[in-house]
Formats: sequence, C-alpha cells, structure tokens
Amino acid sequence: MKTTFEEKDGKFIMHFEGRLDTASSVQTEQEMKVLYDCEGHDIILDCEKLDYISSSGLRLFLALLKVAKTKGSKVCVASMNDNLRQVFAMTGFTHLFEFL
Amino acid sequence: MSQTDNHNNGHWTLTLSNDVQEIPQLNVFIDEICESHDLDMMLTMQMNLAIEEAVVNVMNYGYPEGVKGYVDISVDFDGNCLTFVIKDNGIPFDPTTKGEVDTTLPAEERSIGGLGIHLVRKLMDSINYEYKDGHNVLTLVKKLK
Repeated sequence: MKTTFEEKDGKFIMHFEGRLDTASSVQTEQEMKVLYDCEGHDIILDCEKLDYISSSGLRLFLALLKVAKTKGSKVCVASMNDNLRQVFAMTGFTHLFEFL
Repeated sequence: MSQTDNHNNGHWTLTLSNDVQEIPQLNVFIDEICESHDLDMMLTMQMNLAIEEAVVNVMNYGYPEGVKGYVDISVDFDGNCLTFVIKDNGIPFDPTTKGEVDTTLPAEERSIGGLGIHLVRKLMDSINYEYKDGHNVLTLVKKLK
C-alpha cells in the first residue's frame, strides 16, 4: 500500500494505491495521521488505485471520519471501484461518507 | 516464518503463524485457488476478504499476548461450494457469538470493532464453529451460483 498526501484548493487529499489489508494497515495508520489535523480543511480519500480494503482499512476510514466530524470537516471518498463500493455497502459505510 | 502450502485434487492447505504480517501469504493462497477455478474477480475479492477477517480474528484473539501459535487453513472445492476450514489450537474462541453490527448508526455511534465477523456473515453462506480435540474449528462455506 502506498499513500500520497497533497493539499489542494484548501482540501487535504490522500491517494491510496494498492491493497489496504491487515498487514499494510499498520503503516497506513501512521501515514494517515497527517489528515487528523484537519480544522478548516475537508478531506478527500482518493481510492481510484485502491484495489482491496479489509476491516482494518475500514476502521482507519471510520476513525478518521469520527475525528473529522468533531472538527467540522467533511470526508469524501473518490473514485472507488464497484467491488469496494460493495464492501462499503455491506458494512453500512455508504451512508457515512460522501462519494465523488 | 513457518508456512506450508500444498494442493491436491481440489484440496488446498496453508499454515500460518499468528502474525498478521503473514496475511499477504493468505491472500496469494486464496487468489491462486480462485484463479485456478476461473472464479470471477468479485468473488475472489470477497473470499479474500472473508477469510482474511476470520484468520485475523484467530491471530488477534486466539492466543495470549506474546504466545506463538499457528492457524491452519484448508480449502475444498467440489464444483458447487468452496469450503474453508480454519483451525487453531489457541484458547477456545467462538467468533460467531459476537452480536450483530448496527450498520444504520451515524458515524459518531459506530463502533470501531465487530466489522470483521460482520463481513464474514455477509459474504459467506454458512458459518459453523466448534471446539474439538483442543482446536477451534471454524467452517465457512460459499455456494457458487
């Protein structure tokens, strides 16, 4: 799993590439910490190159969302493929996030 | 690292130690089984996900902190059903007793845990647990359409 962070038009964007499984979630959790400082910034999680997500990855997304909400920031999920959209639907995550 | 992987006549086995860093080996194992039977990508991903969740639960809860243990995964395919048996000799742990997750709650009320077994329930057609001869035995079945 490779993540890339950028700030663009006042938004925090994190690009995910590869598989967000239990093994890679440990490292990814550290890399996502930069998003937690999001007062005044909405967050976009770019999932175009995200091939796979397991519950460890879902937990990271949910943990981020909880913090973002307390800071008044939106979290949007962008370009997620159909397989992963289905995982989101199964876990009720579809109504928690905005989709781009 | 301890791992054995062999397949013979529609039956495959893999042994991992209780280290989540070995999960990628599980993913390769499941991918190879599904690909060898031309199962589609969606189903392959679903099986990867369900089995990862079940095995990670064993790794996280089946053995006390710091204790090295093993998880055996065996897979059988008879043309109609994929049957996964996940076996370990850790402490008795029945993952099926975990209550249902309420997926309608708003973000603030959602619990961080419980997603793993929830996904297993959604993705598999049957889940059966027993504790037998000192082993936790979890049997997961997926019927192919």
